[in-house]
Amino acid sequence: MRSSTLRVACLLAVGVSLGLLWNSFSGRGIALAKNVFIKAEDEVIEAKAAKARLDKGALFLDARPIDFWKMERIPGSFPLPENDFEPAFKKLEPRLRSTFDIVIYCSGFGCEASHLVAARLRERGIHAAILHEGWPAWTDAGYPTKTGPDPES
Amino acid sequence: MKLLRAPLVHRLLGIVLGAVFLYASVDKILKPGDFARIVYHYQVIGPSQWVGAWAPNLLAIVLPWIEVVVGLALLTGVWRREAALVAGALLGVFVVAVASALVRGIDIENCGCFSVSGEGRGAGLALIFGDLAMLAAAAVLAFVPPRSQEPATVVTSEATAT
Repeated sequence: MRSSTLRVACLLAVGVSLGLLWNSFSGRGIALAKNVFIKAEDEVIEAKAAKARLDKGALFLDARPIDFWKMERIPGSFPLPENDFEPAFKKLEPRLRSTFDIVIYCSGFGCEASHLVAARLRERGIHAAILHEGWPAWTDAGYPTKTGPDPES
Repeated sequence: MKLLRAPLVHRLLGIVLGAVFLYASVDKILKPGDFARIVYHYQVIGPSQWVGAWAPNLLAIVLPWIEVVVGLALLTGVWRREAALVAGALLGVFVVAVASALVRGIDIENCGCFSVSGEGRGAGLALIFGDLAMLAAAAVLAFVPPRSQEPATVVTSEATAT
């Protein structure tokens, strides 16, 4: 029985060692502590892909100033305004760190807020995709929106 | 029961199970990043607010190579019993992971079983049954000793008892 335990440990040890060696020297390895979703470049998706993600439970973030979010927003989205990032981030942080399917949008037509928020999230080790052309792309496609000031969407 | 103890059955089960494990390891080894994504999607060992990315990454790095080692051992019959123990434990973990994803309503498009890129096989009930079938094979290899390994003394003691 004792030799069995040793053999099991041995099989596992060989597997673990090979894995770590391959990861270090094959050139195909991944950084151990880094979220593999995070890339140097932003991931930009179209409205249709964003809708599909929303239907699957993706977390949506609104990078516009908070008043826009209060007026009308993508259902289920949370406000993470670019111009007031820190407090909103603190509130959302546990949620953001427990998911990896995050989509950011802003007011569209080349708006930069999504990219700035995505960059700040990336610095903090969180990956988020950007909805291309943001809000107008969403509404032009006829996807649902939500109005009203209630905080919990 | 007699059939399960036939050495030939053990060798065949080992070859089939070993081949499946070896085959399952290839794509994961070639694309560790894609496999890590799939591990994330299960949301079992992170990343979460408590565990960073290292836990799922480490699993994605190490698991395919354990599959290689176990697969080779099963295929060649070297340390077959111990390899089957490890294989069974892995399959048990897979079943729990898939079942927990189903229960939590997480839609896993690609189970990460064999192919890690694009649309793979989904994680559903069929997958659980497939894993359970392999788990049964592993259990036979691990816990039913093949006849040839049986010590002769057991036979004589049985003979004296009757």
